[in-house]
Amino acid sequence: MNILGELALWVALPVTAWGMALGYLGGRQERGDLVLSAERTVYATFILILLASLGIVDNFLNDRFEYWYTANYSSRNLFVFYKVAGLWAGQRGSLLFWLLLLSFFSALAVWSNQRKNREFMPYVVGTLMGLQLFFIVVLLFAEVNPYEKLGFTPVDGAGLNPQLQNYWMSFHPPTLYLGFTAFTVPFAFAMAALMNGRLDSRWIEVTRKWILLSWFFLSVGIVLGMRWAYEELGWGGYWFWDPVENASLLPWLTATAFLHSIQIQENRGMLKVWNMALVLGTFVLTVFATFLTRSGLIESVHTFAENTTIAYIFLTFMASIVAWGAVMVIYRLPKLQSENQIQSFLSRESAFLFNNLILVAATFAVAWGTLLPLISEGFFGEQITVGPPFFNRINVPFGIALLALMGIGPVIAWRRASARNLKKNFLWPLGVGLGVTAVLWLTGVRHGLALTTFGLSAFVLYIIVVEFWKGTKARARIEGEGFAAAFYHLVSRNRRRWGGYIVHVGVVLIFAAFAAEPYYVEVQQTMQPGEVTELESPLGGTYRLTYESTSSNVRDPDQNLAWQAVALVMVERNGKTIGPMRTEKRGYIRPEGQQSTEVGIHSRPLEDLYITLADVDLEGIILENDPNAQAATFSFMIKPLVGWIWAGLFVLMAGSLIGLWPSAEKVRAPTVASKATVADPAPAGD
Amino acid sequence: MALLGALILVAAVVGFILQPVLQGHWASLRHQDDEMTEAEARRRVTLLALRDAEYDFATGKLDVDDYTALKRQLSAEALAVLQELEASEGSDLVEAEIAAARKELEEEVRCDTCRHHNPTGSRFCGACGAALVPQETAGAP
Repeated sequence: MNILGELALWVALPVTAWGMALGYLGGRQERGDLVLSAERTVYATFILILLASLGIVDNFLNDRFEYWYTANYSSRNLFVFYKVAGLWAGQRGSLLFWLLLLSFFSALAVWSNQRKNREFMPYVVGTLMGLQLFFIVVLLFAEVNPYEKLGFTPVDGAGLNPQLQNYWMSFHPPTLYLGFTAFTVPFAFAMAALMNGRLDSRWIEVTRKWILLSWFFLSVGIVLGMRWAYEELGWGGYWFWDPVENASLLPWLTATAFLHSIQIQENRGMLKVWNMALVLGTFVLTVFATFLTRSGLIESVHTFAENTTIAYIFLTFMASIVAWGAVMVIYRLPKLQSENQIQSFLSRESAFLFNNLILVAATFAVAWGTLLPLISEGFFGEQITVGPPFFNRINVPFGIALLALMGIGPVIAWRRASARNLKKNFLWPLGVGLGVTAVLWLTGVRHGLALTTFGLSAFVLYIIVVEFWKGTKARARIEGEGFAAAFYHLVSRNRRRWGGYIVHVGVVLIFAAFAAEPYYVEVQQTMQPGEVTELESPLGGTYRLTYESTSSNVRDPDQNLAWQAVALVMVERNGKTIGPMRTEKRGYIRPEGQQSTEVGIHSRPLEDLYITLADVDLEGIILENDPNAQAATFSFMIKPLVGWIWAGLFVLMAGSLIGLWPSAEKVRAPTVASKATVADPAPAGD
Repeated sequence: MALLGALILVAAVVGFILQPVLQGHWASLRHQDDEMTEAEARRRVTLLALRDAEYDFATGKLDVDDYTALKRQLSAEALAVLQELEASEGSDLVEAEIAAARKELEEEVRCDTCRHHNPTGSRFCGACGAALVPQETAGAP
């Protein structure tokens, strides 16, 4: 299997080159046989890369440590599940995995367009195969071949970093990669449109679901990463503005902008150049995020640095894509003229436009802060790094503005809205927002930013609920339907809009969770068994934490543990027993000397209790088994609303799925004529 | 054994890829009949905009003046697109659509009480005499 896998990777090299050449050539010369052959290379490459990936998994499962990659990322005692996940544990495997997903999506794109969008397909195939060719060349020739052999066979592998041995970690990278690679399809269609000259909204319409799919996976992947950081890194936060986090956020920001701006192009035929720029920028940022994660280019909590020459290869690749895209856009400028202008400052178009400007500004700000160490080193010879305060100061106002727009946008009509209507439509939502703010203020919430965010959140939620209500009512009246049927049809006939509103609800929940940060409580306490610490929640309620004992285990090869100190804390809330919570310190057999802290989390709808074992006399407990060495230092934290992030994710996923659900609609939309005749067969006086 | 597997793999891949070129199998390169052309796509967008305007009016985001002006403009656009389509296709279907769009233009305001269609700008229903106020939605609760 492993030999076949390595061979498959080599065979894929000429196959993708052939596919790229024939795709473009077949498109230019209008030779259907060449195009068909090129399309077949897409399927063949997927099978070949699948074989290559299975070969790597096979290496992990069979402990073949003669391979560099297996030796560095696995060990005999690694849990089988993580051996399979070894495919994306390191840079080399990640690149192959990226390629696997890309080849899968490419095959899916070709398969689903066998009888549609034929004028795009030659160039789509050429572009997709060109990108895959690049990745295969990198894998084979840039010293990152996952099939590279060591020349000797170590007895055991170095083991997987235990921080990566976490189920969230097993899903977080693949989900992000799904998001990154799915965006390649819209990019390929955009390039195809530039090449074949069909520059109306068709390429957007065709790839709309792909864009949403990519955005969906990016969002889920980012939040899963937050969950991983929250559980595994032990400092109680979920976002640190770490370069790798930022790298995944950048394409999300531009993809979010793109999701909104394509609606202006579809509805109004405007922003064509802008959309080209966004699709190009987002794609390049997905590539940037992919390689930054494992490149060691910028110091980060999760770069497991290996090989930096690859960074330059990727930078060159990204630069050439941008250059090529820019040249094509300039060449096609005459065909990219706007068909309309914005008619009024007060219109949904302009709300979308503001949304785009803010998102792009945030992208630049985050990119600047992330790349500053590199830029400053290049120009001044020393690395200047900026931390969370910089990112927060810049992005919080952007976030607030976006939150406000989520409320304003839905209420403003397309094309033009009159000030009188706005006043009428905003009166109640504003009242609700201010009312919530006032109530919170009276109950003791005095943090300005938190108040603003909660008030705006109430404003947005109220508007969305009213939108659903009014829409259902209007439909029930116009079509003469019952409310349930009207609601169902309202959503199902325009799933993008209503799914979008539901996504907004999820985002609002997540924003509200962010805003609760000033109310986090943290107490550090050194305790002896039997001692009690009391903790007041900012939301009311008292936790009574009784330290029971710390026990130890030594050497458990099945779990890869060298030693383990487990502290038990009995938790009561308002006199009611919640139960014991455990927090641990662990030392691992492989990689040798690696330690970690396991946190204890008790989640409630409005807050989490988060405890970590900050310090304990490891020598006394583990080596000497000393019964008097039980003193332990804990960090007890209360985190209001943290659970809303995960809840918000589920709402966001539900909204996205409404938008993604395959529609039963025919290609031809129902026309006015048929609708009018069906709805009203005999108008009076006809 | 490994060599045999490798040979089979390579042969299968090469055969699969080259077969269309060698045997002259063609993939289609033009858009299919059931797909929208640029003009058809524009028509759809205009019709969707009409639907949006209606919805915005019904939910109180557009007032009656803006709505009537917008609707006239959108209907004219739709008509232009439809005529363009007719020129390129000349099908009965398009004829029917144009007729329907014209009718829409002429018969704009529907009476809430008796569902009678009244010409644009009517203040009172021609059939039952009810006042044709803009459909005031019961704003926010």
